[in-house]
Amino acid sequence: MLNFNQLKSLKEVGTPEINFAITKLPDRDAVVVGNSAGQLVEFDLSVDKPQPRSFQTAHTSYVTGVVSSQGGLVSGSYDRKLIWWDPLERTVLREIAAHDKWIRQIVSNPDGSLIASVGDDMHCKVWDAVTGELRFVLDDHAAITPQHYPSMLFTVAFSPDGRLLATGDKVGHVAIWDFVEGRKIGAVESPGMYTWDPRARRHSIGGVRSVAFSRDGQTLAVGGIGAIGNVDHLDGPARVELFDWRNSLSIAELTDTAMKGLVEQLWFSPGDTHLVTAGGDNNGFITIYDLATRKVAKQEKAHQHLHGLAVDEASGKFYSAHHGRVVTWNIRDEQPQST
Amino acid sequence: MGLFSSPPAALGASAIRNIEAAKNLRDGVSRRGFLQASAVGAAFAASMHQLDILQSPVFAEELKKQQKHVILIWLAGGASQLETWDPKPGRATGGPFAAIQTSTPGVSISELMPKMAQRMQHTAIIRSLNTKNADHGGAAKILETGRAVDQGIPCPDLGAMIAHELGRADSQVPDYVSMYSSTEGRRQGGSGFLGGRYAPMFLTEQMIPENTSRLETLSDLDHSARGDLRAFLANKFRSGRPDLSVDSHNSAYQRVRGIMSSASLFDIEQESLAMRAKYGPTQFGEQCLVARRLVEAGVPFVKIARAWWDSHGQNFETHLELVTELDHVLATLIDDLADRGLLEHTLIATFGEFGRTPQINSSLGRDHFASAWSASLHGAGILGGSVHGKTDADGQKVIEGEVRASDLFATIFQAIGIDYRKEYHVGARPVPITDFGGQPIRGILA
Repeated sequence: MLNFNQLKSLKEVGTPEINFAITKLPDRDAVVVGNSAGQLVEFDLSVDKPQPRSFQTAHTSYVTGVVSSQGGLVSGSYDRKLIWWDPLERTVLREIAAHDKWIRQIVSNPDGSLIASVGDDMHCKVWDAVTGELRFVLDDHAAITPQHYPSMLFTVAFSPDGRLLATGDKVGHVAIWDFVEGRKIGAVESPGMYTWDPRARRHSIGGVRSVAFSRDGQTLAVGGIGAIGNVDHLDGPARVELFDWRNSLSIAELTDTAMKGLVEQLWFSPGDTHLVTAGGDNNGFITIYDLATRKVAKQEKAHQHLHGLAVDEASGKFYSAHHGRVVTWNIRDEQPQST
Repeated sequence: MGLFSSPPAALGASAIRNIEAAKNLRDGVSRRGFLQASAVGAAFAASMHQLDILQSPVFAEELKKQQKHVILIWLAGGASQLETWDPKPGRATGGPFAAIQTSTPGVSISELMPKMAQRMQHTAIIRSLNTKNADHGGAAKILETGRAVDQGIPCPDLGAMIAHELGRADSQVPDYVSMYSSTEGRRQGGSGFLGGRYAPMFLTEQMIPENTSRLETLSDLDHSARGDLRAFLANKFRSGRPDLSVDSHNSAYQRVRGIMSSASLFDIEQESLAMRAKYGPTQFGEQCLVARRLVEAGVPFVKIARAWWDSHGQNFETHLELVTELDHVLATLIDDLADRGLLEHTLIATFGEFGRTPQINSSLGRDHFASAWSASLHGAGILGGSVHGKTDADGQKVIEGEVRASDLFATIFQAIGIDYRKEYHVGARPVPITDFGGQPIRGILA
């Protein structure tokens, strides 16, 4: 049984790299992270002192996405490539030049049969996870911001029923897609995420960095940062906006200034009782909101900025990827023995 | 008759003053005095011809300088050398951007600058600045004045010194224009001991100078008539009082009228839509177009501050935005100046107060770094395709050809024909135009 009041770091593994993405391997207490050295690295967290086990070298820039799928592990990178991997041999199965610019995030659908990728070419592409076939290209995000600078398509998420996709960009535009029918079915705007200011900051370091559908599919959470106080630090409130996306209606704004920075990850708990948010500025955080009261239910400081988060409901654990660290967290009633 | 012997009686008073000034110049005392005095127009030009002054290489050099201009693109906050001129791909410090080959074999720059990569023939890169001070205020002062040590007197900034050296007393346009729309790191700079005459026309809130238009209640005819009356009275007053302060008073009025008439230079709507489209719709692009208009009209020094480079957080997103814009606008400015035959007379410099740390912090930012960073020079007087200095594999330190701010300034002076060894005199105290020990970087000069 999940109990967020029990949120606590269980194990931390230091790395010299910046870890951007993380996925848990099935049936093992082990993770694979994507990092700033262009590597995928496996850590067996069941042992006392986990050692890095590197995959075959294949990416040539930051690895910003890694997911488990029916077709094996799939990674995406700023090198614009998607790579399918044999997780046991840690070797390349397939390599696709997937985007024309940086790949910002990849996700798999709930049954692992599809992969969705988003990149700064402003396309969302949906791929067959087994064959690597491109199934859909979804376009609704402008390549140039209203102030004439390059935009960025940061984030994508499947709905829990696997039928919908949401994509979010730098200027706060979020599109919702029924990709089974291959069409856009909605959009919401969260301009507060776009930190461009004609006077105080003539460039933007915000944007929509995370999206998530609630378990019932009715609510869409959009994560990023609020108004930034300092000129060029991530010195702004961690900000989440909740939408009744079917009516393009903003229904709540959750902001936290105790632990600031970008909300990089969002996850709705079973029954939509809680919303887990994670990210950071220089420091990292995991902040869990009680959605009945919309107040912070639990909050933990994390080691430096948190980029990636994987959730294993069965074992009651979070796995997080940070600047220089990989961390396992307990989130269940009876704290498991530290592994 | 010797060049600097007694003047012929046929020469007028102004020419006599010019010759006196020329004597000073010959004696190395005051070239500026010469320029101020010489700028009285065609009559003196004829006198100079008579005296064959142009045969003097010193004067030829001085006159050549008057054709030169400098546009300083001030990257306020400190741009990253790793995301511009000194990429380190594949290193932990290198960040995610690749390097691309430029039009000069063997020279690579960041992939964020594909347009500048094709314009290396107009570019000299300095990769080895070590200016030591990584505090915004202190570092800005060093890179504004070229002086690492407080001289104990207010020293002029680069713009004021160039305005002093290249400005013309009879100019109808300002000598030094500074566009600083950004609020980050906004500093007016100044002319220090050179005096207010060389202070910048400082534009912050709008690109067109304020208070330069005629009062609406005053007709153009009345305005002109008032000017004529003032000139008549002033000339009558002056005729009996050959005094420099009176002349200065009159020249100040002339400059005001000149600046009023040059206000249209700041109006980019005077440009074709096609030209405006080339520079692009951003404020920085429009300011660079204004800079070209000012240079074309004879302004010696224009500074454009493009801020928000202080990327302690999200360095790569910041540079993706800002370097993309810099690449486009700088390339456009170079092309435009070249098309007009102005590039060989105009030096463009890009630098800020410092660079950024090779170390990537946990906000994916880079912090202040003055130990090993880069600047670029383009156009007049530089050796295109040249690179000076080298940093180590991770960009942590200079390993070859260390450059100080004074060396950078000496290089700029030399590129546009100003003697970097020149001294000013503040009272009896000599103050070198280039800080003590500063030497031009010969290898990147044409």
